[in-house]
Amino acid sequence: MNYNFNWMVLWDYRELLIQGLIITLKLSITSIILSTVIGIILGILRLAKNLAVRLVASAYVEFFLNTPLIIQLFFWYFALPMIFPEPVQMWLWEHNYEFISAVIGLTIYTSTFIAEAVRAGIQSIDKGQQEAALASGLSDFQTMWYVILPQAIRVVIPPICNQFLNLTKNSSLAMTIAVPELTHQAQAIEALTFRGFEAFTAATLIYIALTITISLLMSRIERWSAKGQQIVTA
Amino acid sequence: MPDYNLNTEKPTISFKQVHKWYGKLHVLKNINEEIYSGEVVVVIGPSGSGKSTMLRCINGLENIQKGQLIVDGQEINHPKTDITKVRAEIGMVFQHFHLYPHMTVLENIMLAPLKVRRTPKNEAEKVASELLEKVGIPEKARSYPAQLSGGQQQRVAIARGLAMHPKIMLFDEPTSALDPEMIKEVLDVMKALAREGMTMIVVTHEMGFAREVADRVLFMDGGSIIERGTPEHFFTNPVEERTKTFLRQIL
Repeated sequence: MNYNFNWMVLWDYRELLIQGLIITLKLSITSIILSTVIGIILGILRLAKNLAVRLVASAYVEFFLNTPLIIQLFFWYFALPMIFPEPVQMWLWEHNYEFISAVIGLTIYTSTFIAEAVRAGIQSIDKGQQEAALASGLSDFQTMWYVILPQAIRVVIPPICNQFLNLTKNSSLAMTIAVPELTHQAQAIEALTFRGFEAFTAATLIYIALTITISLLMSRIERWSAKGQQIVTA
Repeated sequence: MPDYNLNTEKPTISFKQVHKWYGKLHVLKNINEEIYSGEVVVVIGPSGSGKSTMLRCINGLENIQKGQLIVDGQEINHPKTDITKVRAEIGMVFQHFHLYPHMTVLENIMLAPLKVRRTPKNEAEKVASELLEKVGIPEKARSYPAQLSGGQQQRVAIARGLAMHPKIMLFDEPTSALDPEMIKEVLDVMKALAREGMTMIVVTHEMGFAREVADRVLFMDGGSIIERGTPEHFFTNPVEERTKTFLRQIL
C-alpha cells in the first residue's frame, strides 16, 4: 500500500466540514418536521370518507413514492423554475433556491412513506375504539384526534424513525443540486487536497453519529409515549 | 312494567317498519317496536339474529335502509339529524369494553364530558369519581385499563357511558367476554342502574338477568322480532315454537 494517510487535512479544512454538517442538519431537521406534518395529514386523508379526497391523497402518495428521489430533486431545482417568468427565476436563485428545492424534494418524498406508515397505524387500531368514541358523542375529528391518533402514533414511531434516518442519509443527494451540505463539502475537500479517503471517512463517521443520535432520541420518545400500554406488551 | 310507562307519553325509541341490509343480506326485517322512558328491555336470540345490529342502529353505528327510527324525538336516518347530538344522550357498553388504552380510567370517563359538553375539568373529574364510586372501583381512578380485570374494565365502561348523563343506555352483550366469576359484579351494577329507572336496552344471554330485571323481553331470530312479552310470559309459557326451541337450548 503506497497511500500515506494524512488525517491532518481534516483539521485544516474543519471549517468546510462544520459548515457542511450545519447545512445537513438544517436541511434534515426542516424536512423531518415538514414531512411528518404532511405525512400525518396525508395518511389520515387516505382514509377519508370522501372519495375525491381519498383519491387525491392516494394519487399524491403513489406518484411520489414511485419516482426516484434524485429525479424529484432535479425536477424541483431545474424544471420547476422554468415555468415562472424570468424575474421570479432571478429572485429564486438569489434566495437560496437550491436549499429550498432540496427541502421540497426531501419533504415530499419522505412524506409519502410517513403517510403510508400512518395509514397502516390507523388501520391497526381496533375498530371498537372508533365506535366507542363515536357512541359517546365525539365528532369524527375528535375521535381521530383524541382516541385514534394517539394510539396510532405509538404504533408508527418505529417506522417513522426509519424514515427520519433515510431522510438524513438521503439529504446527501442535495449535493447534486449544489447544496453545500456535508457530502458536498467532503467532495470539495477531496477536490482541493486529493485526500478522498480521509474526507469521505470523516463524512461517513459524521453521518453515523447523526443517525445514531436520531435513533436514540426516537427510542426515548417511543418509551415515553408507551406509558400505560407497557403492561399490555410486557 | 312501571306504571308511568302506561300513559300516553311518546316512546323514547320507536322503530317503524325498519329494514336493514348488508349488501344482499337482509339482517333486519320489518322491525316495529316502541320503548318508553324508564323501561328495561332485554333482547335475546341466537347469534346472527340481528339483535346487536338492531341495538347499534339506535345510536347510528349502523344505518337503516328502510323505515323510520326515532330516538329521543330525532329521526335517526334523516340527513338533517345531527347524529353526534343524539349519541351524546345515549350511553353504550360493548362486549369487549373498548376502553381507551392510552388514558387512565378517570380520563376515559372524562373524555366525552370535557370535549362534547365542554364541562369544566374539576366538575368532570368530580362526576367521574362519583361514577367510579358507584361502580365500586374508586381506587382504580389513576390506573390504566390494561391494569384492570375484565370485570373492572366493563364497570369502567359503564361509568364512561353514564358520564354524559344519558337518557338511554345500550348494552351489547356486556358479559359475554367475561370470565364467569366476573359476570356478577357487572350484572350487579346493571341491576342497580335499572332500579334507578334508567332506560336500558340489553342484548344478553344472561337469562337470570332478564328474569330478574327486565320489564319486557324481545326474542329475535332471523332478523325479526319473533316474540315479545314480560319475563314471566317468556320463561313460563312462550307461544312461538322458535322461542321454545331457543329457550330449551340455553336454559
